[in-house]
Amino acid sequence: MIEVRDLVKKYGPQKAVDGVSFDVARGELFGLLGPNGAGKTTTIGVLSTLLRADGGQVRIGGHDVATAPSAVRRLIGVVPQEIALYTDLNARDNLVFWGRLHGLGGAALNRRVEELLVLADLADQARRRVETFSGGMMRRLNLVAGLIHQPEVLFLDEPTVGIDAQARSRILELIADLGRQGLTVIYTTHYLEEAEQLCDRIGVIDRGRLVALGDKESLIGQIGDVDLIRLAIPADRHEAFTAACLGWEGCVGVGERRGRIEVRARDGGQLLPHIQAWLEAGGVPLEQLEVERPNLETLYLNLTGRGLREEAP
Amino acid sequence: MSRLWIFAARDLRRLAADRRALVVNLALPLVLTSVMGLSFGGGIFGKKGISAIPVAIVAADLPEPLRERLLEGLRESGFFAPTWADSAQADALVRAGDVAAAIVLPSGALDSFFNADSLVIEVWKDPASDVKAGIVQEIVQRGVLRLQAGEAAYRALWPQDVVLAAADSVALADMFRGGLGDLWRNLRDPDTAGTQARAVDFLARQIDHHLALGRVLSRPTVGLVVADRVPGAGNGGRETNLFDYFLPSFAVFFLMFAVAAGARDLHRERARRTLQRQLLGPGPAWPVVAGKWVAAVIQGVGMLGVLLLAGAVLFRVNLGPDPWTLPVVVLLTCTAAAGVFMLMALLVRTEKALDNLSTAVILVSAMLGGNFMPLDNLPAWSRSVGQLFFNYWANLSFTRVIGADGSLVDVATPLLVLGIGSLVLLAAVLVLFDARVRKGGWT
Repeated sequence: MIEVRDLVKKYGPQKAVDGVSFDVARGELFGLLGPNGAGKTTTIGVLSTLLRADGGQVRIGGHDVATAPSAVRRLIGVVPQEIALYTDLNARDNLVFWGRLHGLGGAALNRRVEELLVLADLADQARRRVETFSGGMMRRLNLVAGLIHQPEVLFLDEPTVGIDAQARSRILELIADLGRQGLTVIYTTHYLEEAEQLCDRIGVIDRGRLVALGDKESLIGQIGDVDLIRLAIPADRHEAFTAACLGWEGCVGVGERRGRIEVRARDGGQLLPHIQAWLEAGGVPLEQLEVERPNLETLYLNLTGRGLREEAP
Repeated sequence: MSRLWIFAARDLRRLAADRRALVVNLALPLVLTSVMGLSFGGGIFGKKGISAIPVAIVAADLPEPLRERLLEGLRESGFFAPTWADSAQADALVRAGDVAAAIVLPSGALDSFFNADSLVIEVWKDPASDVKAGIVQEIVQRGVLRLQAGEAAYRALWPQDVVLAAADSVALADMFRGGLGDLWRNLRDPDTAGTQARAVDFLARQIDHHLALGRVLSRPTVGLVVADRVPGAGNGGRETNLFDYFLPSFAVFFLMFAVAAGARDLHRERARRTLQRQLLGPGPAWPVVAGKWVAAVIQGVGMLGVLLLAGAVLFRVNLGPDPWTLPVVVLLTCTAAAGVFMLMALLVRTEKALDNLSTAVILVSAMLGGNFMPLDNLPAWSRSVGQLFFNYWANLSFTRVIGADGSLVDVATPLLVLGIGSLVLLAAVLVLFDARVRKGGWT
């Protein structure tokens, strides 16, 4: 359904997207995972015809976004990161406007608006001004506004930013429903748990480059069955701990990040007694200790040396 | 429903839902213009205006027929409510605030005038009545200038034998025999009493001729032209009223703010990403901005329409000689205003930059284009520069229609400027917006 080949987009001399390639099959829920500034929104901008690529090719439904943008626009719906709604109008009027913009009218428009209000769980709030809505309600309306013309492909650009856990959960359920209905979805996020929960396949993007691509299991498999142990001890003992740790069986590597020691181990549970003994022998105070199983965060950390919550440089 | 109308209807719906915008765009201008109307216009609350400006006239040695003629002329001018007074009375009246000003012709004024000697006319102003007294002073100054110009032309172009030939009786001719200076002496001679009235009438016509020549020779800069307000000279004797000028000029001033707010919405939509969402719809990009332009025009027409109708109902403001001239002026004023501010919105990068630019443009163009002061009272350089701004032509059109009951023919030139300007501006807006979208600058 979507083919992206060697996509390049520059802002001045800087490449915001640098040679990105991926495919998305019809009905697939594809996640684009990366921190703020990684190039996710720019990629969506090009795919949705709003931005012109400086290189590469993008085809959606067989249409080239550069040469047949109108045909592409008929196929796609876009839900921007911002609440792209008229908050001074009510929910219904917003949907009616976006529907008319896409050529709907009369009974068909009214029917579609009612369907979407129900889908967003806003049927009883249809006449309320959007500015009086909670963040979650706005997000749901923002999302269904992108569905008004029943697109075949939906681009969701960080649709859960700035809302609480409960509201986020409802949005994710809504998106999962859409996926089950066969809609092709490209979902950008910097929340790895969302990508893990929702997406069939995930592309990890960093500094404009796609650094990993695959389903969740295969991506995690790339880093092997390695646990991550984080511990906080006084800085003057880091060197001694590193030297000792590298000698213990099961230790794959030791590093330091944000003032904490990070130990990669084949089995974190086996290494913990060694750590405890070393601390007690040296009288070293332990301020914090965490053990993490392999996940997309560790993958991302391995690939980029940074966490997903950190801004791209 | 065409895409253009979808966008325009959306903006109008949002405007109607915005109570604050309604207050700022309609209620506030209505209140302010009503205050002005009550100050200058009177209307259903009682007639005031310039016609009610009380002035004292001091001209001790004018003969009675000439004095009556002068008072009658001042009343007919439509600007003054004159009172005859001697010097002391006039001083007291001004100080007491009973008159806005006193116009003082010194003793021997006409002797001086006819003998081409130095003549100084004084205007004593009531400082507490700054506006009205200033208007009196302005009118007197214009009159003096015209008399001076007419005097020179009269003496150069009007040979004495023509004057004598015009006098249709021997007695009357005798009064002119020694020239203009002798006429004045003869007017005070009891022996010529029988012909004095006719002589005064003739003299008055000669002074009108002075003024007419002066008008030809002097630059047409007079705002409140006395001769234009004489009954039968164009407006059927309707009283001239400052409110007739300031109602539309203030309405245009407020219109600029309203349209600037509409243009600013383009930047807000861009920041909120609703603009980008619209650009994802099928079809070309231009209806997005054209729809905003249409909405701004409709908003402006509504705003000006309500203000002018309120002025007509409450303050008897003249709405022109026919039902179509003023609506055309209103429409073209709004199309030009919408074009100007939409173009400015596309020329700047941010909403804040647009705010700064539009505020500066509004204030400067209002000053130079005659929104704060009648066009005719602006200095020549200001009128020249003001022609660069649409509001100059709008104010000129309104002045001619509302102030002088002008028809479409009378406002053809300013309407042509507004019409052509509107088309050029709209074309520039559409081209620039399309270029911005294509380059991704607005996405």
